[in-house]
Amino acid sequence: MLSRVAESLYWMSRYVERAEHTTRLIAVKLESMIEQTHEESHASWRRVVAALSAEKHAKDAAISYDFTNILTFERANPSALLLSLRNARDNARQVREQLSTEVWEHLNRLYLRLQPITIDAIWVHHPARLFREILEDMHALEGVTNSTLSHGEGWYFLELGRHIERAQLIGRMLDAHFGATQAAAPKYFDWLVLLKFCTAFEPYCKAHTAALKPDTIAEFLLFDAEFPHSLRFSVDRVCDALTRVAPGAAPARRAAVERLAGRLKAAVDFGQIDELMGGGLAPYLAEITHQCEQIHTSLYASYIVYGAETVL
Amino acid sequence: MQQGALADDQATPMPRPDGAYANYALGAPYDEMFARDGTVREHYAALAERLATLPPEELYRRQQACELSFLHQGITFTVYSDAQATERIIPTDLLPRIVTAAEWARIERGLKQRIGALNLFLRDVYGDARVLRDGIVPRSMIYGSRHYRREMRELSVPHGAYVNVCGSDLVRNEAGDFVVLEDNLRVPSGVSYMLANRDVVRRAFPAVFRRMGVRAIEHYPRELLTTLRSLAPFHEDVSIAVLTPGVFNSAYFEHAFLARQMGVELVEGRDLLVNDNVVYTRTTSGLKRIDVIYRRIDDDFIDPLIFREDSSLGVPGLFNAYRAGNVMIANALGTGIADDKALYAYVPRLIRYYLAEEPVLNNVETFLCREEKSLSHVLANLDTLVVKAVGESGGYGMLVGPHASRAERDEFAQKIRADPENYIAQPTIQLSTAPTFVDGVVEPRHVDLRPFILQGEETVIVPGALTRVALKRGSLVVNSSQGGGSKDTWVLAG
Repeated sequence: MLSRVAESLYWMSRYVERAEHTTRLIAVKLESMIEQTHEESHASWRRVVAALSAEKHAKDAAISYDFTNILTFERANPSALLLSLRNARDNARQVREQLSTEVWEHLNRLYLRLQPITIDAIWVHHPARLFREILEDMHALEGVTNSTLSHGEGWYFLELGRHIERAQLIGRMLDAHFGATQAAAPKYFDWLVLLKFCTAFEPYCKAHTAALKPDTIAEFLLFDAEFPHSLRFSVDRVCDALTRVAPGAAPARRAAVERLAGRLKAAVDFGQIDELMGGGLAPYLAEITHQCEQIHTSLYASYIVYGAETVL
Repeated sequence: MQQGALADDQATPMPRPDGAYANYALGAPYDEMFARDGTVREHYAALAERLATLPPEELYRRQQACELSFLHQGITFTVYSDAQATERIIPTDLLPRIVTAAEWARIERGLKQRIGALNLFLRDVYGDARVLRDGIVPRSMIYGSRHYRREMRELSVPHGAYVNVCGSDLVRNEAGDFVVLEDNLRVPSGVSYMLANRDVVRRAFPAVFRRMGVRAIEHYPRELLTTLRSLAPFHEDVSIAVLTPGVFNSAYFEHAFLARQMGVELVEGRDLLVNDNVVYTRTTSGLKRIDVIYRRIDDDFIDPLIFREDSSLGVPGLFNAYRAGNVMIANALGTGIADDKALYAYVPRLIRYYLAEEPVLNNVETFLCREEKSLSHVLANLDTLVVKAVGESGGYGMLVGPHASRAERDEFAQKIRADPENYIAQPTIQLSTAPTFVDGVVEPRHVDLRPFILQGEETVIVPGALTRVALKRGSLVVNSSQGGGSKDTWVLAG
């Protein structure tokens, strides 16, 4: 596979994952608002903003209208939903011939649908509805991605992008809820919302009943091996995908990135929640994020931007 | 009467018995659907019948469906007018343009003959230059052309096919015969629209399509692949790539489309590198050799070491790899000398010279001011002719005689006398019209016809074409950048 193509697939997938995550956070937030006081709602919005790394752009936001607008449409905010979708689509356009018609058309339609919409147009009646519908479209996109593309090298680059992005998003999400920087301590309802932010409410209840305990929630979102939005699940997918990409690359070229992924897997496989909850969670999450960035850099050096002299 | 009822009545007028083309004005010398007496030509009968049963709002709905389909597929070009680039679709007209089997047979024969002669000419010019020694074409026209590539001298290309993909523009003259308006021998585009139009228009008229026996064109990508493969010196495991300037090029959709349909790699200049005169792509698994490049980049930009050094689209060292025979490039470089405005006038003579045949398809009558007899004719008839400067394009350096003032004509005559070699003249050409669905009604619009000819080991023409249509009433400009659209073209089996 062309290195440039691998790069575009990887970024397309990262942006799609980011867009889906953003959409879900806004949908859940807007739907849960009616159960909250103004102060609770504001604190909750602040956590959403922190989870999406949009603090700088949302510092003057006061009401839900502002938050929704900044997180969805604000051009200056690089993590705004519309920008993530546009970036995903721009990358897809670069590798149009590598994608199936279904994948391209789903993504293209998704962008074309949101692109002309303004905050005022959706704010009049039930704004959460739009985000729910977009979320459904994103699930459909994921479905056709899995069912219409061959699960070859390109698909594994999509997997790498998706799960490297997801691992980092989970880290930030937990940091926003458990970290020292939070505006107000979360209450029961906030833990429920956290699970919904991660599509984890029903799976969590099945595993641990509806008794919502912060430690158990953190453990579930970090270390559950079967839940697809847990850190561990994503790290496993990254490790697996790395063995499938660049099938013809010499072992020496694979070594660096595979070693980094193995180290991350060990950190997750042997993590203990009771060791972390005594104040060790924030540095642990920072370390995980750092390791994800190292894997990204090493992936580039091995497969995307290597010099000709290293292989001839 | 209530206002609401009035508005409803206006919104949905009753379809009239004579259908959608009640106000169809026949003005052009030749209309594709209607004969001069207003009767429907036989090969349009089935379509006309179907149209008569469709109310305008149903046509409108199908037109919308076509446009939406293009938008969703991303068949768009980008207009960089303001800070925000907008994406537009090239309008596709719902109503197909129909070509009879007999007409097509002649077009096919004529174009094969023409590309054959042009390729022989290119081989000659870059080889022995017999055609120049025999005085068929003046030397200054070749060696003075900015499309002449000295670097191509004495370089043999596979099967003598310099032009592997050609798109020739045909129009109907006033007698209804197809004539060639120009040849595009460098990097012709539009074939993806031929295929995409078919895809949507066939869906709009499925029953008529089946009944009329329209010939298939879907095998074009396979034929292109076969043509490209035939250029490689060895026939197994040939590695082919389509070279595009990138996603910002207006024809990017086509480049990606063809690569996908052929199942070959789409590459940009930055994906390729040359080492020891061998071309490689940079892949995740290492470097991979490339044998044939279907390039959609102009000569000037293909290799900054040989041609324009400021080009970032090309590949340094590509031309030397080509000269060394390690990679094949389609179309070959330097084909532009055979499609400029002055050489065009010589094509009928080239056909006679190389093939000893009469041209099947005529040119539009062209007067070369460099020839004394023509010069005096041109100067005497400036009020009826279109005069073009050879080196210019896009309407620059042009005099449209019938629309020019006396003073403008006199001034232009001075220019022609001062540098006759730089000018050619043609009678004003009236393109034929075809029924086109515009703003809810069917009206005549001017059309041309661009079939695509492939030449490698074999010469192949897929029975179809891009029909370009000038959507503005009365306009003769079919270019997509200036308000042109396109139509599906149905070539009938018999």
